[in-house]
Amino acid sequence: MNAIVLSETRGPAIMPPDPILSLEDLSVVFGDLVAIKALSLAVRRGEFVSLLGPSGCGKSTLLKAIAGLVPPTGGKIVRAFASMSASFMFQKPLLLPWRTALDNVLLPVEIERGGNAVDSSDRRNAERMLNLVQLGEFAGAYPHQLSGGMQQRVALARALISNPDVLLLDEPFGALDELTREVLNEELIRIWRSMETRLSTVIMVTHSIPEAAAMSDRVIVFSQRPARIVEDVPVDVPRPREPGDVRSAAFVRRIRALIRSGR
Amino acid sequence: MIARAAPPLAFGALAIVVWQAAVMIGKVPEYLLPSPTAILATFDLSLLKQFGVTFLEALAGFLIASVLAFAVATLFVRFHLLEEGLFPIAIAVKTTPIVAIAPLLVIWLGTGWWSKIVAAVLICFFPVLVNVVKGLKAADVEYLELFKTLGASRSQEFRKLRVPYCLPYLFSALKISSSLAVVGAIVGEFVGATKGLGYLIIISSAHLETATLFSAIIAAAFAGIAMFYAIGFAERRLIFWSSGGGE
Repeated sequence: MNAIVLSETRGPAIMPPDPILSLEDLSVVFGDLVAIKALSLAVRRGEFVSLLGPSGCGKSTLLKAIAGLVPPTGGKIVRAFASMSASFMFQKPLLLPWRTALDNVLLPVEIERGGNAVDSSDRRNAERMLNLVQLGEFAGAYPHQLSGGMQQRVALARALISNPDVLLLDEPFGALDELTREVLNEELIRIWRSMETRLSTVIMVTHSIPEAAAMSDRVIVFSQRPARIVEDVPVDVPRPREPGDVRSAAFVRRIRALIRSGR
Repeated sequence: MIARAAPPLAFGALAIVVWQAAVMIGKVPEYLLPSPTAILATFDLSLLKQFGVTFLEALAGFLIASVLAFAVATLFVRFHLLEEGLFPIAIAVKTTPIVAIAPLLVIWLGTGWWSKIVAAVLICFFPVLVNVVKGLKAADVEYLELFKTLGASRSQEFRKLRVPYCLPYLFSALKISSSLAVVGAIVGEFVGATKGLGYLIIISSAHLETATLFSAIIAAAFAGIAMFYAIGFAERRLIFWSSGGGE
């Protein structure tokens, strides 16, 4: 028990068995289009789960349903506790160009406060978030002065400032070049495993098999639309992982075969 | 800045010299084409006073129209039915030439300030309305989704996203309407006025005081240019993140 308390990391080792989020027979229908049909999935606290599948299969819709952006047509989404909070991160940084990096990070706080202006402790908190994503020196920079990767770091800091339990990522670094993307993936894992935020659980939509395998505890492989779970593949490679650790592993071949079989 | 301004200034100066020389050598009568020096002689305090009248009318019309158009655009975006019902009517009013409406304004509002201000309002209102409606709807759907995930209220979404997003659209309309405001004020003065550049243009043309006519035209052009550049200056200060919105 002591070892767990002192542990600097979170992840499968200290994962309690009960789910933080469960989808029960979830369906999402847009008019004639069935995006998701009677899908059930439980995500445990502390897990990093990837949703992998062909484009247009409905995995993004699933993530948006979890975020409350898309109303479920059937079934339900059960949160482990009422105060559970989730932040959504998009493929694009979506920074407000008229705000500095710091003020962009503060946006969720401002919105939560309503009429009340943010105070100096909020500003310190935003600075801490920028430090966490290694952009402490760029607090006063405007988005157009930052590179694509830096903008996405600011977006990550903005997603983390409300201290969410769950982070929902929709192909978060998909618009970036390969190298930047790899670095940011590693940063994300570092932040997820560190104790600096309350963040415990990450659900990430991706269509990159190596990325899903390198980052996740579990890869959920989806079929073509309507999204159905083809297989739930655990990635039991110890952390910290090196990029090479998963590349040739058996489950990567299995995932690839599953996707190729086109089920 | 200076390097860029030098060539047009040099060519302008050359044109004026050629003009002066042509008038002097060709002995062109002043009522046909006055020389630059003759025009310069008519720049006096009374011209400045007429300029001030027209400029204030245009400025007042411009400001009233901008505020009004922004408010109406906000209502249009908020209440879709209003937009559907009123936008076609607004377009119909917009296509009616201001010259055709101006006499009516003088009948209703007299020959004082208000007929000119309202003429300027009418001419400035529509470009601003059209662009602000467009700008308030211009925010990408992804940004709207972001605000939704943050739990933003409608008014927060409006203030923190839609309004700043609209500013480039607003300013590109303001640049157009600022010079149109001067046109509105002068048209109002043509129809019925006792002062202003429009009045001066009509009077000096009737008396063949062509040099005065020229100075009034130059002053009118200057009023429009001054408004345009003032807006452009404010735009560059305020909207540092964008290189200009849609028309």
